[in-house]
This record gives sequence, structure tokens and C-alpha cells, in this order.
Amino acid sequence: MNYNIDMMKKLFKTKKVFVLAGLTAVLVLASCSDDFLDRTPEDAYNVDDFYQTDAEVIAASNHLYSRPWFAFVSNVSWGIGELASGNARTWDARNSEFQTYAITGEHGTLTQAWESLYAVIAQSNSVINTLPEKVGPNVSQEVIDNSIGEARMIRATAYFYLVRIFGSVPILEDNTEYVLEPVVPRNPVEDIYEFIERDLRFSIDNLHDRTQSSFYQIGRVDSNSAKAMLAKVHLYQENWSMAYQLSNEIINSGAFSLVEEYNDLFLVQNENNSESVFALQWTDSGVYSEGNALQSFFGSSGISGFADGWSALGPSISLQDAYEDNDERFYGTIMAPGAVYPNLNGGYTVPENINFQGTNVGIKKYVVGNVGGAMQSYPNNTYIMRYAEVLLIKAEAAIMGGGPIEEGLQALNKVRDRAELEDLDSYTLEDVFQERRIELALEGEFWYDVIRRGPDFSIPFLAAQEKGTFDNSTTPATVASEKFTPTMDDLLFPYPSNEIQNNPALLDPPVPFDFGDEN
Amino acid sequence: MYKNPNKSENVFYRYGKILLMLMFCSATTVAQAQDSVNGTVTDSNGIPLLGVNVIEKGTTNGTTTDFDGNFELTVEGPTNLVFSYVGFVTQEVRVTPGQILSITLNDDAEALEEVVVIGYGAQLEENITGSVARISSEELENIPQVSVDQLMQGRAAGVAISKNSGQPGAAVSVRIRGVNSITGSSEPLYIIDGVPTSGEAGAEGLSPLAALNPNDIESINILKDASATAIYGSRGSNGVVLITTKKGKLGQSKLVYNSYVALQRPTNKMEVMNLQEYATHQNNIGEIYNLDPQIEFLNPSLLGPGTDWQAEVFDDAILQNHQLAFSGAKEGVNYFLSTSYTDQEGTVIGSGFDRMTVRANVNADIKDWISTGINISASRTNDKITLNNQSNGIISLSLLNNPATAVYNPDGSFAGPVTPDEIAYGTRNPIAEALSIENTVERNRVFGNLFVELDLPANFTFRTEVGGDVGNNLRDLFQPTYTYGNIESGQNRLQVTRENSTFWILKNLLTYNNSFADKHDVTFLVGQEVQESSWEGVTSVDGQFVSNKLPVLGQGNANDLVDQYIGSSALESYFGRAIYTFDNKYNLTLSLRADGSSKFAKGNKWGYFPSASASWLVSRETFMEDFDGLADIKIYGGYGEVGNQNIPNFAYGVVLNPMNTGLGTGFEYANFKNEDLTWESSAMANFGLDFAAFDNRLSTTVELWHKTSKDFLFQYAVTDFVTGGQSPGAIAAPWINLGEMVNKGVDLALSYKTLGDNDFNYSGTLTFSHYTNEVTELLGDLTINQALYISDSNMNVTLTQVGEPVGMFYGYKVEGMFRTLEDLEDAPIQFGRPVGNELFGTTWLGDIKYEDINGDGVINSDDRTVIGNPHPDFTFGFQNNFTYKNFDLGVFLQGAYGNDIFSGVKRTLTAGSSYYVNQDPIVLDFWSVSNPDGQQPRLVRGSEANPNIIMSDRYIEDGSYLRIQNITLGYTLGRETAEALGIGNLKVYGSIQNLYTFTDYYGYDPEVGTYNQNTLLMGVDNGRYPSPRTFTLGLNVEL
Repeated sequence: MNYNIDMMKKLFKTKKVFVLAGLTAVLVLASCSDDFLDRTPEDAYNVDDFYQTDAEVIAASNHLYSRPWFAFVSNVSWGIGELASGNARTWDARNSEFQTYAITGEHGTLTQAWESLYAVIAQSNSVINTLPEKVGPNVSQEVIDNSIGEARMIRATAYFYLVRIFGSVPILEDNTEYVLEPVVPRNPVEDIYEFIERDLRFSIDNLHDRTQSSFYQIGRVDSNSAKAMLAKVHLYQENWSMAYQLSNEIINSGAFSLVEEYNDLFLVQNENNSESVFALQWTDSGVYSEGNALQSFFGSSGISGFADGWSALGPSISLQDAYEDNDERFYGTIMAPGAVYPNLNGGYTVPENINFQGTNVGIKKYVVGNVGGAMQSYPNNTYIMRYAEVLLIKAEAAIMGGGPIEEGLQALNKVRDRAELEDLDSYTLEDVFQERRIELALEGEFWYDVIRRGPDFSIPFLAAQEKGTFDNSTTPATVASEKFTPTMDDLLFPYPSNEIQNNPALLDPPVPFDFGDEN
Repeated sequence: MYKNPNKSENVFYRYGKILLMLMFCSATTVAQAQDSVNGTVTDSNGIPLLGVNVIEKGTTNGTTTDFDGNFELTVEGPTNLVFSYVGFVTQEVRVTPGQILSITLNDDAEALEEVVVIGYGAQLEENITGSVARISSEELENIPQVSVDQLMQGRAAGVAISKNSGQPGAAVSVRIRGVNSITGSSEPLYIIDGVPTSGEAGAEGLSPLAALNPNDIESINILKDASATAIYGSRGSNGVVLITTKKGKLGQSKLVYNSYVALQRPTNKMEVMNLQEYATHQNNIGEIYNLDPQIEFLNPSLLGPGTDWQAEVFDDAILQNHQLAFSGAKEGVNYFLSTSYTDQEGTVIGSGFDRMTVRANVNADIKDWISTGINISASRTNDKITLNNQSNGIISLSLLNNPATAVYNPDGSFAGPVTPDEIAYGTRNPIAEALSIENTVERNRVFGNLFVELDLPANFTFRTEVGGDVGNNLRDLFQPTYTYGNIESGQNRLQVTRENSTFWILKNLLTYNNSFADKHDVTFLVGQEVQESSWEGVTSVDGQFVSNKLPVLGQGNANDLVDQYIGSSALESYFGRAIYTFDNKYNLTLSLRADGSSKFAKGNKWGYFPSASASWLVSRETFMEDFDGLADIKIYGGYGEVGNQNIPNFAYGVVLNPMNTGLGTGFEYANFKNEDLTWESSAMANFGLDFAAFDNRLSTTVELWHKTSKDFLFQYAVTDFVTGGQSPGAIAAPWINLGEMVNKGVDLALSYKTLGDNDFNYSGTLTFSHYTNEVTELLGDLTINQALYISDSNMNVTLTQVGEPVGMFYGYKVEGMFRTLEDLEDAPIQFGRPVGNELFGTTWLGDIKYEDINGDGVINSDDRTVIGNPHPDFTFGFQNNFTYKNFDLGVFLQGAYGNDIFSGVKRTLTAGSSYYVNQDPIVLDFWSVSNPDGQQPRLVRGSEANPNIIMSDRYIEDGSYLRIQNITLGYTLGRETAEALGIGNLKVYGSIQNLYTFTDYYGYDPEVGTYNQNTLLMGVDNGRYPSPRTFTLGLNVEL
């Protein structure tokens, strides 16, 4: 046996020793350094390496003006704002239930409202909570404060829509606390408004002022924007004097002014004009959800250059009738047969047979023609608020006792002047309501204006809206009438049923929100 | 006993061992008186074999056969001779000097049946302790399936396979023993010649296995239980499929040509209204909607049948396949070379698949103690994709499209909707959709593995393997400008994606194998493995091309959009295994693997996966010697833990998604983080019994298994108001370790074969699988709802809750229809809708009456309940082979029993109230005052909030089916005739695939698979591409 052992020794001494050395080398090479198993994203930033420079922190709020709003703007805004309010009508099965008040918690568009607005809140909260924690030492405090101010104003805007659509909803300040928490109580409407106000006051104090700060970048909200939004919020709380005071301050600041021609407000080249208080900032990238989809629904076939133009809603007969004669805004809002738009697709004449949803007219507002982008993704901004509305807030607050009526009248007439309408000598709340309807028609606003006047006004008002069609088999065309009466329950929309199933606490009474000691 | 098939067929391995014996044992060899043994060695066909090693056992005394297969060897006294030859089973014969032998060596294919490839090695089948199912190449032959995953259907117990789509090249759902995880994919891990590849489908739902030519496959071994898969640790929890490709065999140098041509034909059409029925229906709806009547429909009886859109969309399609393979071996070297071409047209217009492959498998012995080998294949596949499986996909469009519209205008252009109403509500022309979008994916792939194996002293073997999978995908999507009807798109758009992926794996394996005292056999394996996967891609968009002729980036004038993505993941592993066999009767296997993954945060990177299993060959016990009733009785069982890490990279941290905004690039929060994220693990116990009866004609395998998957990974959104739900800009829910579920089941395989001594022979295999699934924990006691968009409404379709199987259909139960005023008065108020005959917002005669499940006197969302179960009671496959002289007949049946299907198609086709949309003719039998016995609900306005069409058991269908999956009749040329013609072998055959399906299902095809491979959407039919019937003629020639 010694022979064998010697043999083995010999073997190891000769060629196989090299082999074993090689093996060891392979094993060592293959056992890796610690880094081998650490893989942070290679094609994207992660929160730990972002927010190190001013530029990065400034960019941190860009998305809040865009993608999370997409579903809300493209579908919900007109479903609720126009179809339910009686400004528009449709046969389109997708959203016709808004006009007939047959919305249930299963409705896809309603789910979009909930999800989209809460997506805005989730993204805003992430900015608000992440920046203080992750921001690098070289970023100036002013830049940080401004970005958080933007996020808080945008969060407030989303809650403002939510409370107006659904009433009581859960307030989330830090979504990461709730990702594994199914049961979250809703909070009372008053607390939601309180929360909104706190956000907006923070934004007023921390955002740049476009009239003063050289750091202000066009397209973004500033302290004046936040103030305007707060004025509007006060209108809903019937705090007329605050609404008056804030709107008056903005008007006097000179931060904004009316664009000369109403129709020019909706041209792509006039984005971020002097009247734009807060507008969503879309692109022509053509990527789904990075552009504005309204034209796809509001336009007629072929007008965008793409296969959209679904004319999904038509201006209702009531809305058409609501215009005073010679109101310039009709032309800027509604396409009548034969009308000419020199700025649209290099000159566009409305066909004589235009007939959206049996209304014998079409829609002009937000229809910008062939401007690049892609189907459901056009670069034109969506207004959340325009200066004209600030003027009307002032007028409304004044007539309701919040300030001098003559000042209010002046503000109201400014809006009418631009529409080439005669000045009023005196006015009532009814006049402001009418002016708001026409000025902001098809901008997704009218439903809230109707509802905030209370059920005694809104139910009969809504019941009287003519949502029927023209019967063109007679000459002249007659109206095939359709009117729909909402019940009290229809004035707020139901929570999506899936959410109730996941969070049954939505059916429990609201629980006061804990504001703690924070501002 | 541990046995590696590579070694057993390798002359030089044997020779090397003998050399070692010489070195260690030569002292015992003493010269004695000698005498000679003569003989001839042939193969099973009687052909002499040249160069067979003939060795006197335990000595260095040996020789090789000559050209005529003859040998002469001198021996001293009775002894054992060992005959070994590459590609053949080694044989040992007892001889006495002076004897003349006639030895027939059996083909190694039979050897392979006995030796089963297990993870990182091979083992004699009789000694296997875990659950391994085997599919051999013969079973895969001559079936016109282009992808190997489809071929496995019905052929192994416990393996449930269903096609997600009939589209050529489409992915398949493979579920090994129930549903283990709900991470979106429960697909097994595939190991092709040692290189892992995932079974998960890509974005287009294309099969990752489509690149592999099934004719190159020698065997498929499916490791089903955790004691078998634990050696694959973190990736073993969904089972492991080991695919081994072919090798050349000594003395069998041959050229093989296989070819078939098949005609694929759509099996059935669904019933939709013809033009007359459609016109009648439109008139009814027009009244409901208060619309101007469509003048051309005023008298429906004057109309013709209209356009049959299904006939336009579906058509016969040709499938052809050609393969040329060369194989053989010379001493120390064997090779298998093949090339193939497959071209499959889709039965749906505009879809298709083609593939080219080349493969080279070469093994060689470099020195007596070094061997090496390479398996490498390159492939190119091209997919032409049509939209399908969606409610706006081409299948749905063809069903819903208005029969009043023509496909083409007289000038040859596409016809389409003309009036604004039609444009607003009508569906799109599916032919125009299919033919005017060019959506292609070209996938190039090089896949291979190279090994070096060293025989070391003292029974050690060291093996190093380097494997790689390099892929390059070219995706092109071009939408030209088009007009049909009054729909006009003046914009063309090109989207080009180029992606590269690289995967490499390095393995070092050290094996020790030894036997002691004739009774103990041990094999130890220690190994180390590292693998890295990296990918990179660029997507670019251009548009505003001056014409549609040259869709190339840069030719257009649009704002170009460019996007790049880069990523990688890595896994580092150490493992060990001990196999001990005592007396060829008792086997014990222990294994442990440690995996470190880049998918988890520091502190959670490493997972440990142990297993233990044992088997007992009862029939080898002496007390069984006199028992003839059953043979080959084996009892085995095991326990193992395996993991799953099938989640995206960096799920533990927060990624910022870039996007374009009007203010510049925006960075949205892509996801919520979870730094505590850790391995999903699954513990499985398996118990099995094998036995044979009736003189080995019937062999049976029964296995019982129990699997607990815990901490399963799931991207869990508790509520939409936290994440933003499905909205763009929503923050994706965090990946969490959600809960626990239990699967248990039975696999049964019965094989019967005649003894093979007649002209007529039969063999058959019946596989039967049953499992139950139960969720036992969801972060305590949560529920998971899975919603699906079906024609614009977002419906909760399934519910997963503790105590129930995963993904149960969830909705309302239908009690009947309101037919009398008394019905209405007595019934609970439904969805807050008062009783009234309004066309919206009310409940009236002709509305569906739902069951008040909770008995609270109102019908609302609380009355939803479980209304169907997508899990089958059992699935089965039954393969029958009959041979008579030169003819063979194969009949393969396959099916599932007891599963439910949610037919989204039925809901869409019977919704009733949509204008300009075609429907099932049964809708005409709607309730009205004049048709009080109508079986369909009344027509009302609006579709989405119409409670008559909410998720209910109206749309739950029995998905049971029995399918005659394949019938093949073949004729093989007699040996003498073939030789006279100068060929080795010739076979012609004809087959019919998917001949007939016995089912009560409403839609095209009850085999609906899993929607988007999402476990929570099992059995959802939303317009699935149906599987065609395929008639094939084929030819195999061997030279």
C-alpha cells in the first residue's frame, strides 16, 4: 500500500498539482466581492442618490404638474364637471351615467377620479416627506421650501377636488404609514378644508412670488397661485370676507392679467400666459399620460391628425341657450356650423353638418388641432385656475357681503368686457353664477358651482337642464327632450365599491383628523 | 449508486478508471495459467460493433473488437467480462475459458431511461428519492407543436399546462403541483443543458422557450417536489424542468431529416347576429336611446347576411417544419449537429411565427482524465403579433363589429364607420387594425454551455461549467397613416426597441463517489455557482413620415423620443449534497443550498434551503423474493424547502421614474419601499409508491404531496387611496411577504405495455393530477381583490381570502328575472334603484334579480360572494400507442374537470344595450311587454352601470373538457426495403392535432390558461386567441 501512497504523492507533484492550483484559482475568482450582490438601479435615480443639487430639488416637483392628473383631466373632469352639471350631453355608454345620475361605486370613471386624485396626493406626500430627509447639504433652503410649497399646494388642490366630489374622505399625510394598513377612517369635511387651508397657507408663505423673485420659473405655481386657490376654498366655506380679501390682494398685486382674446387662451403657443394661475404642464412626447387627452374626447374625427376625435360629448341645449348674444366666448367654446378658426390647423372651417351627440354643434375649447404629440397625448396645458376666475371670486365674495359691491361689479365687468359683452350696472349672485358658467364652460368646473349652492337650488336647477337632442327630421329641428332629476344622494358621488370592500371604515362615521402641533 | 450518463458511455472514462485500478491494485494482479474466450459483439439490429472495450472485470486484462465485431481474450478460469461502448449500455457477462460468446449491446436510449438527470448530476431511476417525471424524446416526436412547453401538456402527472393563447409562439402557463405563489408568475425554472432560463413570458406574452427546437431534445425531466428541487434553492419553488439535448452515438453516424407540413384550421365560430338580426336589434336600441332611426334598417327582412367578421379574421394557415440533423461519434468524440426551420402562419389574420435554429453538441475526451463538451445553439425567431386577449383585441373586435360594414370599399381600401355616431360608438375594423399595424418581434439568441471535467485521484471528480445566454431583441411597431370610413389618421408612428441581454453562469462542482464493502455507495457533491443577468435596451419613436413606405428612424419629422433602460441582477450560491445507498435497497439523499440574491436588501440577501429524502426498494428484500404479484416496489418520501425570488430588482428601495413634463424631466416615485423584504419559501413533503404488475406490463406511480408556501411575495395594494391604484402616476404598492398557502395533491401515472412479442403491440400512459389550494394567511386576515378592465368597466373579478383557494371568482348570484309586479314588490331593493320602468336608474320587469346573500333586505356590494372556482378538480392526459407490424397509431387525450371559467366574452356579447355593436343573437330574446317570457334582460340605456351586466354567476361557465389532442398514424418502411433503397430508416405519418373538444363552454375554447400569466386571473376569457385544429403530414428520413 505504500506504493499507492507514493504514487499519489507523485501524481500531485506532477501535472495534477497544476490542475489543483487552477481549480483553486477558479474557485477564488468565482467567489465574489460584496458588491456583486448589491444592485441599485442603473437606469434611474433612487431616492438615496437624488436631491443633491438645487437643480435636482427643483425638478423634484415637475411630475406633480403632469402624469398623476392624467386620468382625472382626460375623463373625470368633464364627466362630473360637464355631463352631470347639464353643460353637456352624451350617448356614450362610458360616461352617460353622469348625465343621468346613475353612477354607482362600480363606475370606471368614478374609480379614475378617486385613483387619480389620490395618486396626486401620494406623489405630493412623497415629495413633502422625502425632501427634508434626503436633501443634500448644498441645496439652499429656499429651493427646498419652494418645492415643498408646490407639493403642498398641489396636494391641497387634489383634496379640494376630492372633498367636492366625495365629501368626507381619508386624509393621508404620509402614505408610507398606510401601505399595509387596510382600515383607515375617513375624516370630516371641515377637517379636510382645514387641512387644505393649512397647506395653502404654507404655500403662500414658502413659494416664490412671481412678481418679486428672480427664482420663479414660468409654468409653476407661486405664492399668488396659492393665494388664489385659498380664495376659492374660502368661497366654498362661505367665508366671503376672506375670499374677497385674498382675491383682491391678487388682483392688486399685478401678478396676473386677462389675455386679450378669450379664444387665444386655448392655443398651444399661449401656454403659461398672463392669465394662467395654475395649469397642468403637458408635453408633446406622445407618451400616453404625458400629454393632455382632452382633445381626443372634445374634438371631431381627424382634427388632431390622429385617429381620435371621438366627439364624446356635445354642448347641451341648455348651455347653448345660456349664452348671451354676441358673447365672444361662444366661439371660443363651441364650434357652430360654418365658423372659421384661422389658428386651428392653419385655417379650419367647421362643417355644416357638425353634430356632436345630437346637439347640432361641436366643441372648440381645448381642441388645438394637429400640434404633434399623439392620440390622447397633446402638449396643451390644462387650466386648474385662470385669472378670470379670480375676478369672479371677488365679484361673488363682494355680492355675498365680503367686500364693496362696486369693486365686485368692476371685477365682473372686466370678465364681461373681454367677452365683448356690455357692462352690467348692478349685479346679483345669479349674474356671477351665470358668468362663471359661461366663462368656465367645459373646463370641468360647473358641477361644483351648482352643488355648492345647496340642494334647494341645485336639485331643481339640475332637473331643468335640457340634456336632450335635436330631432333634425323636422324643419326647423325640434328638441327631443331629456331631463334628469337627481336625488339628494346624487349630489355627492359614491366611493368606489372596491375601496369600501378593502376599507370598510369608509362606511363608518368620519373621525376627526389629528392635526397635532404642525402648522 | 451514483451514475453519470456522460461517464457511463465514455470509453476513456472507463479506461481511466482502469488505469487507476492498475495504479492502486496492480500488486494483486499475478500471472496465472490462461485460456481464451472468443465472441462477436453486435447492436440490437445485429450490426457488428467495432472498437467495443472488452475488459476482464477487476483487472487490466482487455481488448477491443475488430471490424467484424470479433474479439479474443485470454482469461484464467471463470471470470466476468465487461463490454462497454459509447452510446450503449455497458454489459457484464460471466464467462468460462473456451466459451464462444454472442453479445448484443443495447442502445443507450434505454440506458437513459434508467438514468435520470437530477440537479447537478444524474442518478439511476430506481434510486431516486424525490419526485421526478420524465418525458422522453419519442413522446415528443412527430407532434406539430413549435414550442416544448406546449409539448409537455398532459404527459406528466402533476404538471398542468394550458396555453394562454392560440397565437403562434405564445407563452404557456405551466403549473407544477398547484399554485405556489401569486407573484404574477408561478412558472417553473427551466434548465437547458445546465443553463437556467425563466418560464416567464415577456411583455407580448411570447414564450421564452420558443427559441428551442423540440426535435433537439433528448429528454425532459421534471423535478416536482422540494427534495428534488432544493438543490436549486431559491428558484426551485415552482418546480424545475431539466431539458437535455441530444448527443451523438458511436457507430451510429447518421443524417436525419424530419419534415412536416400542417394545415391549421379554426375549430369553431361563435354565434353572433347576422345583418338582419343586427338591424332588428339596432332598431330596438334606437328606441331605447331616442336616436334617429338608421334608415337602411327600416325593413330588416330586406337585408342580406352582412359581413361575417369572424370569417374575415380567421383563416386556414400553414405550418411547416424542417430539420436536418447529423450525429455520430468517433473514439473519444461525439457530436450532434442540427439545423431547423419552422414557419407558422397564425389562423388569425396578421399573426405568425417563424424560427431558424442551429445547434452543435460536441463532447470529447482530451486526456484520459480530462473530458470536455459544449452544447451551443443559436436561434432566430420572428413573431408577428396581433392584438388579442383583450376586450379591445382583434378577436373581440371581430365578434363585436357591425355586420353592416364591409371589410373593404369597392376601391380596395378599408371600409369603416361613416357617421359620427358610428365613429363614436362603433368598433374598429379589425381587419384594418390587424393589417395596418406592423408589430414584429425578432429575437436572436445564442445559448450554450461548456464544461471541463477532471477525474482526480481518490474518486474525486471536478467539473467546471460556463454557461451563457445572450439575446438580442428587435421590436418594431409601425402604425401607418390610414383611413377607413371616416376615421382618418394622418399621423404615422414608428416605435423601435432594441434590447440586449446577457446571462452568464459559472459552476464549480466537486464530486466524490465511492463504494465500500459492496454494500455502501456514497456520492458527495459540493458546488459553487455564480450567475449574473444584465440587460440594456433603447426605445425610440419617430413619426410624421412623408409616406408609409420607409418606416425608419430619422425619416420622420416628429419630436423623437428616446428611452434607455439598463439593469442587472445576480445570484451567488453554495450547495452540497450527499447520496448514500445501502445494499441497493435503501437510499438517502441530503442537500443544502445557500443562495445570496441581489433582489434583497443587506441582511436579507441570503436564504438557506435544506432537503432530505429516502427510498426503499421493497422488492429487493429477501422476504419479497417469493412474492410475484407486484414487482419493482419502491417506497420513497422526502421533505425540502425551496425559495422564490421572482421579483423586480431593487424592490426594497424607492426608484424615481423619469418622465416628460412641460417643466422638463419629472421624477415620480415609482414604488413604495420595503427593506424587510425577504425570501419566499416553500416547504414540501412528498410521499410516493412505485410498483409494476402483470409481468412488468403495468407500472404505476402514485405520489402524495403537501406544500406550504410561506412569506409569499406579492405586490400588495391594500387600498387604492394609498397608492393611486391603476392611475398613471400612481405609486406601485410595495412588494411584501404576504402570507401563507397550502397546496396538497395526488399525482398518478399508470403505464401499460404489451410484451412486444407480437405483431400487435400497445402501450399507454394515463396521468392524473389533483390538487387543492388553500390560502391560510394573508398578513393576518386580509383579502385581495383582482380587478380587470372589461370593455371600459373596471370590475373586481376574483377574490383571494383566507380559507379559500387563490383567485376565486367573486360577484353576485342570480336568482332569476323580475317577471311580475309581485316579484318586484316582494324583492329587496337592488343597488338603491327604485322600482319603475325608466330606462335607467330603476329596477323593472325584465331586470336580473340577484340573491340577497346577507339577508339584509337590500342588494348591494355586500351581497357579493364566491361564485366560481378556477382550479380544476383534476387534470388528465391519456397517451395510447398501437403498433401493428410497420404501422403505428398514437391517440392522445387530455383534459380538465371541474374548473370554472369567467367568460368576459359572454358578458360583452350579451350586454345588449350598446349601439353599433354586434351581439349574440340570444340578446334578441330580451324581455319586453310583448315578450314576457324573454330569457335575456330588458334593454336599458347605458352599459357600465347597468346592474344586469355586473359580475355575476351568469358569466361563470363550467370549463371542464376532454380533448382529442392528437391522433397520429405512421408507417415505417421495413428494414430490408429501406436498405435496398440505401437509407437507414423512413417513416411517413399524418396527424390531427386538436381534433375535437368535448365541452359545454360558451366561448371558442375552454383551455383559457391564465390571463397575462397572472395567478389571480386564472380562467379568465377576455377574447382569447383560440387554438386551431391542425392537420399534419410528416416525413422522417434517416441515412
